[in-house]
Amino acid sequence: MQNASGRFPVRKIVVAGLMSAIAIFLGATGLGFISWFAGVSITIMAVPVIIGAVMEGPVVGLVVGFLFGVFSLIQAAVAPKSPLDPLFVYPWLSILPRLFIGPAAWIVYVSAKKLSALIGKAGEPVALVLAGIAGSLTNTVLVLGMLGVFYLGYLDWLTWPWIGSIVVANGLPEAGAAAVLTLAVVAAWQGIEHGRRKSRLEEE
Amino acid sequence: MRNTEFLRNVTIGQYLPTDSPVHRLHPTTKMLMGGFCVVAAIISGSLGGFVIMVLAVTAALRLARIPLLYAYRGLRPAVPIIVLVAALQILFASQSDGGAVLWSGWIITITAGDFLVAATMAVRLVVLILIISFFTFCTSAKELTHGTEQLLRPLGRIGFPAHELALVLTIALRFLPLLAMEAERLVKAQVSRGADFGKRRMGLFKRVYRMFPLLVPLFLASLRRGEHLVLAMEARCYTGGKGRTRLVRFRFGPADGAAITAVVLLVAAVLAAHFLRLDSVFLPRLEGF
Repeated sequence: MQNASGRFPVRKIVVAGLMSAIAIFLGATGLGFISWFAGVSITIMAVPVIIGAVMEGPVVGLVVGFLFGVFSLIQAAVAPKSPLDPLFVYPWLSILPRLFIGPAAWIVYVSAKKLSALIGKAGEPVALVLAGIAGSLTNTVLVLGMLGVFYLGYLDWLTWPWIGSIVVANGLPEAGAAAVLTLAVVAAWQGIEHGRRKSRLEEE
Repeated sequence: MRNTEFLRNVTIGQYLPTDSPVHRLHPTTKMLMGGFCVVAAIISGSLGGFVIMVLAVTAALRLARIPLLYAYRGLRPAVPIIVLVAALQILFASQSDGGAVLWSGWIITITAGDFLVAATMAVRLVVLILIISFFTFCTSAKELTHGTEQLLRPLGRIGFPAHELALVLTIALRFLPLLAMEAERLVKAQVSRGADFGKRRMGLFKRVYRMFPLLVPLFLASLRRGEHLVLAMEARCYTGGKGRTRLVRFRFGPADGAAITAVVLLVAAVLAAHFLRLDSVFLPRLEGF
């Protein structure tokens, strides 16, 4: 069916809106924070951005990341969820890092699929997992990096090792959770699509 | 689960419909005002400028008939981080011209200037929180989308997908209550089948794992709704934003002109205080951020 909207087909707009809604919802209700211990929590709010990018491309990922960032900025001012939250009223903490989640996830996804095609294996699940990890790590590294650059510059004997340890301790479990969630959702969705559109006689 | 009533929490900011002159401004005006003030607060580093902004926002809150106590209570969650950042600044950073060194030991250096810099950083954070909160008090979600589209429309003429971006925002905001209802339904369904989202002590793995029966169906249900929406839009021959008119129209009035002028003057004053170093004769300035 001819996409009547020209450069920005309807599906991309709708998926971008949906994933943004989920990202905002996860942030606003606190569901996006899975608490670990003593106030530390891992966040899965990068996942809608990653899924949007994997399913509909880097532009959608960029838009979802941007809206996620804007609403986390508003959220930080009006209803902060954690003690560190109010700092996110600064756009270079809330918006700038989040712009990169989608494109990063997309690049990794597409590259992984191409690589696995070369090798000859069905690389979809692996590509999804890697995209999830890449997107989540992008979020963690960039946000913590911005924190380090702007607010901890004078602790330079301490800053980067400390931030590095947070990336490992907090960022790796987040990346794992994001990877599994991305795989689960996208694989289920593609299964649904295949089930509906393709007949059983076709090769998967 | 501690709270299955998600609907209540899904609001962006707290819109207070007090029907004041400020509320009746065009949404784009409000966005521009908020934007200018935020940018000014970020660029500027002068404590005097920030104090001016706090006074201006307070006056605006009165004009918008928003209870001052309510607005200022919103600052309470920010107190811990303000104290922390101020403490870090006082203890570890030192300004080269910060005045007398009060105490110096180990890795800690406290100069007189540190306190004022810490105060400036604190007030800047307060200013930003107040501006953004004020914006959400006066602007409803519907106005937000109208304002965004209107604001971006000039860019649309040079090929920027203004209408599409505004539509993405509209869809996102429209879906929030639907998501909340869906999530509530999912939680109740899972719990009635014996799922346990409880807060008992369990490892991270298990905790993440237990969120999946809620999260995965939430995504999939949304995507399915999205398919319906795509079908509906294409069936109604959606062709993008060219020549599209709106049912609800906001009009610019003289009040908007007055508001923008006031904000421009305020921003000019704040930036002047910063760049002309009007108050740094006796106060330090923040360089950078």
